[in-house]
Amino acid sequence: MSDTEFDVVIAAYLIPDLARKDFDGLVKLVADKQLQVEGVALVANDADGHVTITETGDHLGRKGLEIGGGVGLVVGLLAPPLLASVVVGGAAGALIGKFARHRVESGLEEKMGAALPPGSAGIVAIYDRSKADKVDAMLASAVRKSVAHVDGGGAKKLKAALAEAQAGMGG
Amino acid sequence: MSDQIDRTVLPIRRPPFAGVADKTLGGSEPDWGLIGHVKPPAGAPNVLLVLIDDAGFGNPGTFGGPVATPNYDRMAAQGLRYNRFHVTAMCSPTRAALLTGRNHHAVGMGGIPEFSGAFPGYSAMLPRDAAPFPKVLQANGYSTAGIGKWHLTPEGEQGPAGPFTHWPNAWGFDYYWGFLAPEAGQYDTMIAENQKFIGVQEGQDGKPFYFPEAMTDQAIDWIHGVRGHDPQKPWFLYYSTGCSHAPHHVAREWSEKYKGQFDQGWDRLREETFERQKKLGVVPADAVLTPRNAEMPAWDSLSENSKRLFAHQMEVYAGYSENADHHVGRLLDAVEEMGELDNTVIIWIWGDNGASLEGTPTGTFNEGTMVNGLPLTDEEQMQLALKWGGLEAWGTEMMYPHYSTAWAWAGNTPFQWGKQVASHLGGTRNPLVIRWPARITDDGALRSQFTHVTDIGPTILEIAGIPQPTLVDGVEQQPMTGVTFTDSLADPGASEHHTQQYFENFGNRAMYKDGWWLSMRMPRTPWRLDPELLKRFAPGVWNPDDDPVELYYLPDDFSQANDLSASNPEKVRELQALFWEEAEKYNIKPLLAGFSPFFGILPPLGTQTTTTYHGNVQNVAPGCVPRIYNHSYTISADLHIPDGGAEGVIVADANHLGGFALFIQDGKLKHTYAFLGVFQYQQESAGEVPAGDVNVQMTFAADEAKPATPGEVTLYVNGEQVGSGRLEHTVPFGFSGYSGLDVGQDNGLVVDRGYADKAPFAFTGTVKKVVFDVAPHLDGKDELALHAHAQQAHTARGINA
Repeated sequence: MSDTEFDVVIAAYLIPDLARKDFDGLVKLVADKQLQVEGVALVANDADGHVTITETGDHLGRKGLEIGGGVGLVVGLLAPPLLASVVVGGAAGALIGKFARHRVESGLEEKMGAALPPGSAGIVAIYDRSKADKVDAMLASAVRKSVAHVDGGGAKKLKAALAEAQAGMGG
Repeated sequence: MSDQIDRTVLPIRRPPFAGVADKTLGGSEPDWGLIGHVKPPAGAPNVLLVLIDDAGFGNPGTFGGPVATPNYDRMAAQGLRYNRFHVTAMCSPTRAALLTGRNHHAVGMGGIPEFSGAFPGYSAMLPRDAAPFPKVLQANGYSTAGIGKWHLTPEGEQGPAGPFTHWPNAWGFDYYWGFLAPEAGQYDTMIAENQKFIGVQEGQDGKPFYFPEAMTDQAIDWIHGVRGHDPQKPWFLYYSTGCSHAPHHVAREWSEKYKGQFDQGWDRLREETFERQKKLGVVPADAVLTPRNAEMPAWDSLSENSKRLFAHQMEVYAGYSENADHHVGRLLDAVEEMGELDNTVIIWIWGDNGASLEGTPTGTFNEGTMVNGLPLTDEEQMQLALKWGGLEAWGTEMMYPHYSTAWAWAGNTPFQWGKQVASHLGGTRNPLVIRWPARITDDGALRSQFTHVTDIGPTILEIAGIPQPTLVDGVEQQPMTGVTFTDSLADPGASEHHTQQYFENFGNRAMYKDGWWLSMRMPRTPWRLDPELLKRFAPGVWNPDDDPVELYYLPDDFSQANDLSASNPEKVRELQALFWEEAEKYNIKPLLAGFSPFFGILPPLGTQTTTTYHGNVQNVAPGCVPRIYNHSYTISADLHIPDGGAEGVIVADANHLGGFALFIQDGKLKHTYAFLGVFQYQQESAGEVPAGDVNVQMTFAADEAKPATPGEVTLYVNGEQVGSGRLEHTVPFGFSGYSGLDVGQDNGLVVDRGYADKAPFAFTGTVKKVVFDVAPHLDGKDELALHAHAQQAHTARGINA
């Protein structure tokens, strides 16, 4: 487990393509090595209320946390039941793409659906806390953001932090 | 007059018996004329008067706007467009002026029915010496109906106890179906029929209820019924839409037609509209587009998020407006199918005032936040829009949306300002189309005579061949101040008859005479109304003659772009003096009487603190609901719970965007308080409510005697405390402008979405009695201060209508 401290952010967008724009910006920061992420995902809730992971940034690589069965940290955290049926067995790279095109039937839908009404989009990212300002600035068009600190390592702590961030989206 | 009947005195006296009545039938001669009814003059046509709500000169495509209005186009192509037609800049005043043919102050409607002021021009009480022209038509043998929005009945009279002298039937309508409120949700409209609220209606054919569709069905049914009963009798139908007033409610299929069409923003939209207006000829070629006021942001200054949200607001508004045109078209088709289109005078006014600026610069997911003085930032508006369903829900029942102020300004192209601003044409000049082939021969032509909403009544009466009565029900009548413009139907060069007209609305005023227009705008931003802001207009502080003035010569300056006041001081003084003469004559004085609660001039403090509802009283109008706001109060209910328990709503007011509900669910007593869609507070009992005869109570103990006070909620069952909680914020004025209180169920949109799937969630036990006990504050000063606040809030809500 790395000593790096992590934050989890959930950012909600009224306008889906502005979420895409911020997501691309975030990915570019990582590609330009200005930021490291443990996971980032672009999530959409379509007009009919179907939640999907549109894209992940897991191809960018991670540096510290080990969770998610090799499928990407954010995806691994958010949709374990579906992953169990789809991804078990490895071949992660190919399956992530496949996964991203599928409606998420558990996990993410439950957790993100409430925060993202139909027709909206969101970004979930786990990143090095020291770069929080950069991430915050990049998610400029988010209508609502909720950040939680990951209190220690391990999947349990990460999930707890994620739950805290999700709770912050309520109200 | 075309017949021998004296129609100047109403009701028309029955003719003397012309037969012979002997001791027996032998030798007697009948007079069957006794059994007849008053008939209108021969040839009197049907009249369809259509009024669209809260829309501007530059909205409908017929006048160059971005909203597709094929039916308005159709009527204009077969009739006339009037491009210098004027209204009063506000809802109820325009409606009162329209239906009486008299200046709004002269008939007590200088303000709004939500606040009856104690001066003749502001009482909201239609005087008996100003018989509305529908009543004149009715008394002369027309069948008459009003369908749709009303907003002319004082709020406190909107209940089963009446009185009904200000309800639609008393204004001369044989039949009325619609809503009395200043505005209404289009999916859960609380309907009144004649003199009774019948509540939220079901949709037809498995579809959800939608007011524009339902009111059109009602209108068509009515004319079908009349014609089925009497093949000859002419009818008058006043068809008054709730559209395009907030909430902007329309199905996605309508707003999607406009997807991307407003991405260019309001600045460019005005330019585009102006260009089309010139091509159509509804705006003269030499007109100048007036600039944007500093209070409205430049489109290019907005964030991408704001641009996208705002563009969608306008997409919904445009779809909503086109939908209104569609339904008027259905009504026109029905008239045509009956073979009566050419014998029907169609008068269609697009807007009772200019488009509404009241959405504030951000627009709002819930107009109630603005009405209750809850300022929300751009960011908060977006967060709350997200909370209630995001862009997809803008236009659905989940929100009560109103677009940004600047879209209204664009809708009033080419003029300055909009609704409420009686000093300028953006608030007062609206499109008018008239179709009547019997008189109009140059189809599709334009008329530019100066006309005013008060002219409609006299014109209709002249067309029908009916004189303005001098005596109605024994009361001598004020002459109508409007003048007929019937001659302009046939003659494009007809001279102007309406050569002088004042405009006044909550301090904004103008004086028009022979082409000159003096604007006297109070330096107040229309969407801001708070006591602090109004201090500068207090008695002894404000001198209206010190307000800045602008002078325009309209024959040369269609859009009011060229202020001539500096070079014409004598004309300014002449029109200022003339305004005061009119003010004296028509009860405009004292200015700002409609705002009197802001200056300590209040109606007597009410003494009623307890309201008891026996049984399941339904559809209590907002103005008649116990005023729990800003006070401690108790709701006590006597119930019978059958063995096995009960569930359902005991009492509920309004909906999830503002309201409360006391109910039983899962065996527990629950209370939900919806704070304007921003926060929701819930309390519940620890245990289950027992079976049998049970008393349940909810008490709210206010922390302070001030508006929006927080406080503690306590729940009781049979006198024992069973639960508690806190309301950190409370609604200071009102939950809803249209949604009612119900005992025993929650009609329409529900307060707590947790039982929405069971709506109306009728109580399965028995509600014997519900008692509201609103506790006066112990300090009389506090009580008076809250009384002032309540009256101010009444005014604030009314002027948004």
